[in-house]
Amino acid sequence: MRRLLLSLLLLLVAAPAARALVAEVSQREIAVSTGFTGAELIVYGAKDTIPADVVITVRGPHTPVVVRQRTRIAGIWVNGASAVFETAPGFYAVASTRPLAELLPEAERRRLRLGLDMLPLRANEPRPGDGFRQALIALKVERGLYREENSGVTVTGERLFSARIFLPPTVPPGLYQVDVFGIQNRRVEAVRDLTFAVRRVGTSAEIWRFAHVHPWLYGVGAVIAAAVVGWAGSVVFRRG
Amino acid sequence: MQIYLPIAEMSVDGLSIVGIGLAVGLLSGLFGIGGGFLMTPLLIFIGLPSAVAVATSANQTMGASISGLIAHWRRGNVDGKMGMVLTLAGLAGSALGVQVFALVRRVGQLDLVVAVFYVIVLGIVGALMAAESVRAWLRRRRKIPRRLHEHFWMHGLPVKMRFRKSRLYISVVPPVVIGFGIGFLSAIMGVGGGFILVPAMIYLLGMPTGVVIGTSLFQVVFVTAAVTVLQSVSTQSVDIILSLLLMVGAVAGAQFGAAMGSRLRGEETRGLLGLLVLAVAMGLGYTLVRTPDAPFVLEPLR
Repeated sequence: MRRLLLSLLLLLVAAPAARALVAEVSQREIAVSTGFTGAELIVYGAKDTIPADVVITVRGPHTPVVVRQRTRIAGIWVNGASAVFETAPGFYAVASTRPLAELLPEAERRRLRLGLDMLPLRANEPRPGDGFRQALIALKVERGLYREENSGVTVTGERLFSARIFLPPTVPPGLYQVDVFGIQNRRVEAVRDLTFAVRRVGTSAEIWRFAHVHPWLYGVGAVIAAAVVGWAGSVVFRRG
Repeated sequence: MQIYLPIAEMSVDGLSIVGIGLAVGLLSGLFGIGGGFLMTPLLIFIGLPSAVAVATSANQTMGASISGLIAHWRRGNVDGKMGMVLTLAGLAGSALGVQVFALVRRVGQLDLVVAVFYVIVLGIVGALMAAESVRAWLRRRRKIPRRLHEHFWMHGLPVKMRFRKSRLYISVVPPVVIGFGIGFLSAIMGVGGGFILVPAMIYLLGMPTGVVIGTSLFQVVFVTAAVTVLQSVSTQSVDIILSLLLMVGAVAGAQFGAAMGSRLRGEETRGLLGLLVLAVAMGLGYTLVRTPDAPFVLEPLR
């Protein structure tokens, strides 16, 4: 926390007067290792415009998904119609000082893709009903991968702001885009964009990569590992 | 203790996974089975993707069966020739099964197909086991003598082969068909198939009970090994960390189970096993007809 405050101060000092907004993220790289249970990212900064509202978005890489509708056939639930969303962001969080609808006109929100209702989620042909889009958002929200927090940004002393963005254990790896908007009188007055990366590291990442790059060797390795553990276990228990 | 599974791409509680291994190991030691048919549904129930549950369970079953195979091989309880016939046919069956598995997964019906296979196969096997144990119990009370083995029409099919250790001279067609079928089910359901193979060897092939367990383990070990490799190649869904965690529990559990099992009589054990198999079939059958929690499901695109 002290380091955070210190860097905030530095940011303030370093910021030239022309810059209405400065921002930074607490980590430039988030490592997904074997013990990964999610991470908290802090987006913080300072603004010159007073009074003004702040909106922060965090957008993950595109992760294509299929949404399938459950239908009942002869009493059994099966997967029926489906819709493919090629460009759905794998992670999307928007935090603001006030509800987004109060801050910006709808056209502007659509242009800047601010808010879950403004996400450009378009399904491949054939065009399904809007239900699939709604379902995609609802299921992602349920998993903590999409979030909209109307009071997620805290402002201290009118100039300093910060937001905590939780990245759940299932965050997709890749490059993440953070956009910070300073908003005054229903207009965007200042924008800062930042990036950070989510990376698979350590043993789990090595295993995943090996399984996908050398599947034959991986399979043989899994067989040998199982054989060794099964055999060793029986030896240990026979003596014990 | 949270552990991230690299292939399932999710965090699970490591202790509960070891616990599942222990419980399945206990039951598999008690009944002398691999336990894959319990492992796969349990893994699906705790939220693992069906593909990972099936492929990893096959890998785990292989590890759990290998010590049994070594023990039976040493005692000379394995009919190597019969084992080879069953295994070769099983390899062909599992190769087909893995292809079907990958196809069904691509069209998004894997959960359904796995559940339907479980309900049908376990339903039939469980009912047969329960009925057989009741019959055996009645037979013991009425003291009806049994023949060494009965000859069916299928033993007279062409391509006869001598299986010295099993004291059989029968057509190669029935073992090939049985081995192929078990291999196919092994790929789709993530089971070793011992619970089908053992009764099939006794009642359909007429093999002597002494070599049945060892020979079935021979087939199970090689076919689940092949399924592990083929699933790794075509679906990349074998999770080695999950498999090792399960095995730690299963190896320990199997020892306690085996000690408990020696106190039970044969037909009692078979009757209990039949009931257990039926219960798993009904549990999965219920998930098919129950109204789902959400009207839509989300899956990553591959």
